[in-house]
Amino acid sequence: MAVDDRRPRPTRAARAAASAAESTPGSAAGAPQPAAAESQLAPLGPGELTAPIVVPNTLWRATNPLAYDGGRPAEITHLREFGLTDAGRRDDARWGAFQVVPTTADNILDLIRSNSLWPLLSGLACCAFEMMSGATSKNDMDRWGMFPFRASPRQADVLIVAGTLTTKMAGPLVRLWEQMPEPKWCVALGDCTVSGGRYKRSYSTVQGIDRVMPVDVYIPGCPPRPEGLIYGMLQLGQIVKDKRGRWPEREIGPTVPEKI
Amino acid sequence: MDRSLKRRLEASLSSQLIAPIRQRHDQTEIRIGPGDVTDVLSTLHDSVDLRFEILADLAGVDTGEHMQVVYHLWSETSPDWLRVIVDGLSRDDPRCPSATFLWTGAEWLEREAYDMFGIIFEGNRDLRRIFMPPDYTSFPLRKDFYLPDDAARSPGEGVRHVERPYAPAVVADDPSAGIRRAPAS
Amino acid sequence: MPTRPARTSSRPKTPRPPEQSRSQDDPRIMLDREVTSDLYEPVPPYPTQTEREAEFYTRGDGEMFLNVGPHHPATHGVLRLVLKLSGEQVVDVDPVLGYLHRGVEKICENSDYYHVIDHVDPLEYVSSLFQEWAAVLAFEQLMDVEVPPRAEYIRVLSGELLRIASHTLFMGFLALDLGGLTPILYSFIERDEIVEMLAALTGARMLFNYFRIGGVNGDLNHEFMSRLGDWMSRAAKQTEANTGLLNQNEIFVRRARGVGVMNREMALRFGVTGGNVRASGIPFDVRRAHPYSVYPQLDFNVPTRTEGDALARYLIRMDEVRESIRIIDQCLDNMPDGPVMAKLPRLLRPHPGRAWGAVEGPRGMLGVYAISDGSDQPFRFRIHDPSFMNLEVVPHLLPGNLLADTMAIVSSLDPIMGGIDK
Repeated sequence: MAVDDRRPRPTRAARAAASAAESTPGSAAGAPQPAAAESQLAPLGPGELTAPIVVPNTLWRATNPLAYDGGRPAEITHLREFGLTDAGRRDDARWGAFQVVPTTADNILDLIRSNSLWPLLSGLACCAFEMMSGATSKNDMDRWGMFPFRASPRQADVLIVAGTLTTKMAGPLVRLWEQMPEPKWCVALGDCTVSGGRYKRSYSTVQGIDRVMPVDVYIPGCPPRPEGLIYGMLQLGQIVKDKRGRWPEREIGPTVPEKI
Repeated sequence: MDRSLKRRLEASLSSQLIAPIRQRHDQTEIRIGPGDVTDVLSTLHDSVDLRFEILADLAGVDTGEHMQVVYHLWSETSPDWLRVIVDGLSRDDPRCPSATFLWTGAEWLEREAYDMFGIIFEGNRDLRRIFMPPDYTSFPLRKDFYLPDDAARSPGEGVRHVERPYAPAVVADDPSAGIRRAPAS
Repeated sequence: MPTRPARTSSRPKTPRPPEQSRSQDDPRIMLDREVTSDLYEPVPPYPTQTEREAEFYTRGDGEMFLNVGPHHPATHGVLRLVLKLSGEQVVDVDPVLGYLHRGVEKICENSDYYHVIDHVDPLEYVSSLFQEWAAVLAFEQLMDVEVPPRAEYIRVLSGELLRIASHTLFMGFLALDLGGLTPILYSFIERDEIVEMLAALTGARMLFNYFRIGGVNGDLNHEFMSRLGDWMSRAAKQTEANTGLLNQNEIFVRRARGVGVMNREMALRFGVTGGNVRASGIPFDVRRAHPYSVYPQLDFNVPTRTEGDALARYLIRMDEVRESIRIIDQCLDNMPDGPVMAKLPRLLRPHPGRAWGAVEGPRGMLGVYAISDGSDQPFRFRIHDPSFMNLEVVPHLLPGNLLADTMAIVSSLDPIMGGIDK
C-alpha cells in the first residue's frame, strides 16, 4: 500500500474541484494517503507487527543482521532474504572480483604514508567543528602531516567521517568512499558514526557508518575532544605501519581490532 | 497578557473564532477552522490596528484525532505573541490554504509540514518533500509512525529506508496503548 | 555512467558532410543532437512533482545545471544547491535540504523533559546554548517555574560568550569561502578560548547540556572565572584585530559589497530574523522586541544597517560582538548571589497546555513551540530555526549574480545545517 509521491499532482483547479466534489475522505483523486489509512490508525495488538515496505537497495550491501543479535532472533525477514554471507561484508563485494594488489614497494611506501595521511573534508555535523579545531592553531594536526584537508576524494587518503550520517546522505558518502583511490582508510569520528549515538532511535539516520563502509579507527565522544581525534589519527598511523602491504583486507560491519 | 489585544481581536474576528480567546503568560491564542484561514490571516496582516506582519512560525500538529496548523505571529502593536491554531483538519486528508500569498517564507515551512505530516497546503507552488528523500512514502511525525525501540530494528540498517517501522510492544488490555492523543483543553 | 559503444573499423567509411564525419570518426566529439537522455541520468531522476520544480528543471537556451553537491568544501555542512547557470551567471537555484535530517522532533516526543534539553543541542551546534534556552523558556512557561536571578545572569553571560564565539566563526567561514585561509585560524583561536572557558563551566566543549528547567546546572567556578578574566582583558583588542583583518582588505570588501542585497520588504516577507534582517533596515531583535530573562535590565544597542548586502551582514555581526562584550561586563558587575536552580520534582509532569518560547540566537530568532499533555514526555516539540528562514531567501538572492558570488551570499547568511535539517 505504498503512496507514490511521483504521481503527477493535480493542478490547483483540479484539486479545488476534487475537494469540493468529494464527500468522503481518502478519495483516490486527491488524497495523498493510502486507502487503508483508516485501518492503520487502530492500535496494534501485541502480536501484530506492521510489515515493512522494502525498497530494493541499489547503493550498498546490507550488513549481517546476526551481528546485532543481542540474544534475540531478529524479526527482520527482508535482510535475510538478501542472503548475506561473509562475502557480503567485504568492501570489494560491490565490485565483484575486483582486486587491489599491493606491491612490495608498498611495504616501504606505507611507512612514508603513515606520516602524511591526507584527510578528506567530510564534515557533516557537529563533529566537523572538532575536526576543524583539531586542524587549526591550538591543536594542530599539521604536526603529523595532516594539514591539507582535501576537497576532492581523488586526492585524499583518509576519510574522516565527522557527524551524523543520514539515509539521504549515505548514498553520496558511499560514493565518496568509492571514489577514493587505494590505499584508503576510514575513521569514524564521534558517537553518531561509531554506533548511531544519540540518534539510535531515529528513523532517518544510519546507525554507525560501519554498516556501509569499512572503518579502521573508531573515535567515540559527543563530540570527542580534538586531542581525542589526534590520538585516533596517531593510532591510524600506527595501523598503517603495522599493516603495511596488507591494506585491501577489510570488512564492512563492526570490527574490533586486536590491539586497541 | 495584553487585554487590549483580546478586545481588538474579538472586534475584528469574532465570527471566525471557533473557541474563546485564551491568554497565558505572554501569548494570545485563537482558534479558527481551515476555511477561514485566508480571511483571518489577511485581516491580521493588513488591518491597521492589528498589523501582524512578522510570521514567526508555521507548525503542523497531530493531536491524535485531528491535525492542526499553528501559526505564530508578531506585531509591533502588541507585546504578546499571537498563536493562530487552525483546528479540525482530518487525519486522512488534511488540507489547509497556504499562507504564501502573504509571506513567501511560509513556502518552506509548509513543505516541512507536508513532509512530516502529510498536510496539503492549497496554493503552495512547491509542495514537495524537503527533508526526506523525494520518494519516501511515510509521514514521520504522525502519531501512528512509531520509533523503533530496538536498535537492531532501526531503519539505518543498510536498507535504504524502512517505511512504517515497528510499533512498540504493547499490552493488549492497556488502555493507554495506541496513538497518543492530545489533551482536550 | 554507461560506457559508449566502441567504434569498430569495419564500418564502411563513406564520405559524409564535415560535421557528421568528425563526430563519427572521433568518438570524443559528441554533437548536441547526439546527446540523449539515456546517456546521462536526467536531472532530476524522477518526474517533477510541482510547478516550481518543473519551472526550475526546464533548461532554457544555453543553460546548464551545476550541482554544488552535499559534499563541498564551502557549503556550510551538507547543503546541496542545484544551480541553473547561463555561463557564469546564476539564473536560478534549488536548494535541496535534508541531508542532515536526524528526526530530532520525533525523538524529543519520546524523551523526558530533561532529556529533550540534551537532544536539542546538536541543532545549531556552534551555539547550542541558545537552543537549550528556547526549549527551557517554553518548558518553564508550561510548568510555571520561577528562575532565580543568579541563574538568569549566568544564562545571559554564557549565551553572550557563545554569541561572540559564533560570530567570530562566521567571520572565519565567510573569509574561507571567499578564499582567505588566514582569518579562519584566528577565529578558531578565539573560539577555542571561549569554548574551553565554557568547558570549565559546563563540562563539555560543544554540546553543553547546561541549562535546566528552572536554572542552570552548576554555579560559576574558579577556573571559569580565571579564564574569563584573562580573556576579557584582551577581548576588545582581539576583536579589533580580528575584524581589522578583513575590514581593510580590499578584495574582501569588493567581493562582499553590493552582493546579495536583501531589501526591507523581502526580509519581512521571508520571515528572516537576526543579523540578516537588521542589515536590511528592520531593527527586529527578540531581546528588545519581546524581552526575556534579564535583558530589560541590561543596557545594549541593537546595531542596524540599511544596505542589506553581504558586507552589511558581516559588519552587523562584528558590531554585535562589541555589544556582547558590553553585556558580559554588565553581567559580571551585577551578578547577584543566590541559588542557580529552582526546586523542582524529579519527574516533571507539567499541566496540559501549549507554550512558545523565543530567544535571539546568533543567527536570528529561535523559537520552540511545546505542547504538553500532562505526561512526562512532551506531546509535540516544534523547533523553529532561524537558519531555515535565512536559507529560504537564497533562491531569490542568487539569480543575477555570478557563480563566484554564490558562496559569498550563502556564507553571509550564516546557515548551520544542523538547525535547518533538524
